[in-house]
Amino acid sequence: MEKEGLGLEITELRLGLPGRDVAEKMIKKRAFTEMNMTSSGSNSDQCESGVVSSGGDAEKVNDSPAAKTQVVGWPPVCSYRKKNSCKEASTTKVGLGYVKVSMDGVPYLRKMDLGSSQGYDDLAFSLDKLFGFRGIGVALKDGDNCEYVTIYEDKDGDWMLAGDVPWGMFLESCKRLRIMKRSDATGFGLQPRGVDE
Amino acid sequence: MNYFPDEVIEHVFDFVTSHKDRNAISLVCKSWYKIERYSRQKVFIGNCYAINPERLLRRFPCLKSLTLKGKPHFADFNLVPHEWGGFVLPWIEALARSRVGLEELRLKRMVVTDESLELLSRSFVNFKSLVLVSCEGFTTDGLASIAANCRHLRDLDLQENEIDDHRGQWLSCFPDTCTTLVTLNFACLEGETNLVALERLVARSPNLKSLKLNRAVPLDALARLMVCAPQIVDLGVGSYENDPDSESYLKLKAAIKKCTLLRSLSGFLEAAPHCLSAFHPICHNLTSLNLSYAAEIHGSHLIKLIQHCKKLQRLWILDSIGDKGLEVVASTCKELQELRVFPSDLLGGGNTAVTEEGLVAISAGCPKLHSILYFCQQMTNAALVTVAKNCPNFIRFRLCILEPNKPDHVTSQPLDEGFGAIVKACKSLRRLSLSGLLTDQVFLYIGMYANQLEMLSIAFAGDTDKGMLYVLNGCKKMKKLEIRDSPFGDTALLADVSKYETMRSLWMSSCEVTLSGCKRLAQKAPWLNVEIINENDNNRMEENGHEGRQKVDKLYLYRTVVGTRMDAPPFVWIL
Repeated sequence: MEKEGLGLEITELRLGLPGRDVAEKMIKKRAFTEMNMTSSGSNSDQCESGVVSSGGDAEKVNDSPAAKTQVVGWPPVCSYRKKNSCKEASTTKVGLGYVKVSMDGVPYLRKMDLGSSQGYDDLAFSLDKLFGFRGIGVALKDGDNCEYVTIYEDKDGDWMLAGDVPWGMFLESCKRLRIMKRSDATGFGLQPRGVDE
Repeated sequence: MNYFPDEVIEHVFDFVTSHKDRNAISLVCKSWYKIERYSRQKVFIGNCYAINPERLLRRFPCLKSLTLKGKPHFADFNLVPHEWGGFVLPWIEALARSRVGLEELRLKRMVVTDESLELLSRSFVNFKSLVLVSCEGFTTDGLASIAANCRHLRDLDLQENEIDDHRGQWLSCFPDTCTTLVTLNFACLEGETNLVALERLVARSPNLKSLKLNRAVPLDALARLMVCAPQIVDLGVGSYENDPDSESYLKLKAAIKKCTLLRSLSGFLEAAPHCLSAFHPICHNLTSLNLSYAAEIHGSHLIKLIQHCKKLQRLWILDSIGDKGLEVVASTCKELQELRVFPSDLLGGGNTAVTEEGLVAISAGCPKLHSILYFCQQMTNAALVTVAKNCPNFIRFRLCILEPNKPDHVTSQPLDEGFGAIVKACKSLRRLSLSGLLTDQVFLYIGMYANQLEMLSIAFAGDTDKGMLYVLNGCKKMKKLEIRDSPFGDTALLADVSKYETMRSLWMSSCEVTLSGCKRLAQKAPWLNVEIINENDNNRMEENGHEGRQKVDKLYLYRTVVGTRMDAPPFVWIL
């Protein structure tokens, strides 16, 4: 569903801060009946219907494609319940949607929507923003200059170094991410990317 | 004023247990205040930032049970960033330092860490009861500390928490000498469970009344557990898939028949519906049934089960039950007090499983109904008026029409009259959630009639500031007001600043309040914490006047006696 289809954006009061994605803020009275939750483009992961990633994921607000007109936190079903109602969907669609991200030294985990990153560079940027730490992205792009490595758990339960496989393959198999201290991974033959190419 | 010695008065106070009543007692006179505070064992703190642990302990040094709530309610729907706050560690540290004899800790929407759980487990010799609801930040390692160190543990109740499951051996950390368990609820754990350790634990817990398993506990293990624990009152079934002819299933059937004390059933996280009949023999005793996670049990199996449950008082179910199913509930469950109907299809793909007809049927058939949470696709004013007439005893009425701003589907009118009828008829209404197309008129009704209303949830409703003003002026008992995506702004916010001292909190997101409005509020009310949550950009909120007209995305304000909190993350700006 294109935002232009609403035709009301000129008359609508814009809420939120300048620069905010207009599509998200078009959710106002009487325009909402136009919102079609079944627009398939935005439902790349069934579990997260109704939840645009704004809780905690700072970078996502500016990132919503036109099709993603779902409302944050609506319907008001608590996230635990949402997660558990979609159990079937989440096991068959590994990698799409939210995965947990842990970072060594940070006492709590984060969740991010892999599906909304366009590639490893984008992922790197998102991870940087998530933890407010400028080094993670470097780890993905340029193996040896960084204090951290990014690894992920794949469908088989193995921990893999991020960046080896094509992005699409990574999306399919990534179940969770971990940002590990390089010092913990020494001795595992981590080469700077250029060496093998 | 006192005709009796203090010990006698204290003894009388022992019979007064509700928090409200005890708070009232403490206001009578200085002497009663003093007696009450030394005898108070249970304290409830609805907002962990309204007070700090030091002051709590100074006033109630004999504290044994503490309930704390952290994040605002809308955190449940991802509207509050994870790092916002609500950390329990400082509380546990302070309690540990003071050597108070803590026995019970109940937390809701707080950030709990393994470190805090470890400290908790080591600091209080008589610690008995841990209840965590919608918390996060900890792992099964923290649970292992609790299991290992709390010698007299009675309750370990984990409800809908986000727990990182390290697939460790936390269940085996209960020592063999631990035989005191009454409640064990780990349904929210995702990982594998050590079944042997679990069975041994259940076998040596003769007082176990409530057992809620996670999805990793299969049916044959369940059968063995039921054999060990025929005294069970409250059961949460984990995985429930099996062949109805298999030996495990037959064993289970036999074991269930012996559970004559079983009153509450939940779980069925992965359920093969034809196995439900194993529970039919005990259904006539059930008072509580929660099938809201059993997505695979449909229509006829549900109905078959419910038809046996004539004593049901509480029912949580998915909307796949349909209007017809709700009619069966209405004709069978005459004792029903609380009903929750959750959406099974979160995509909102036009599945009209339950409508206003189901709600009307329930209201007509269940005279004792006082609490309802109802997700549906459509509603009419006429239906709501009928419901109000049938059930004037509602205490909690939460209606969620899945599509925001949806009008009466027959008349295309706003639903003001319908909700108006509810608040007019239900004189004891304490909690209300609105949805559908609503104008300022509904708020006029609420302000006029909802005299006992304590909590109001508003989304995509109202036209002007008048709406919010009706509520603030009219609802004298308002404690928690949460508003999203509604056109209320500074005028309403600032009209009566002293009102917020009588309330626990106010949440407004995606409304029309501006930064300068919030600043003015903060200036007028130093006893409030006015928080602007602005996760999108660190430096967006500028100081100069020009930027003051910016709309505030998320505002959360609450009364507090301890001023600005020190643990706010950078994107929370406390004015």
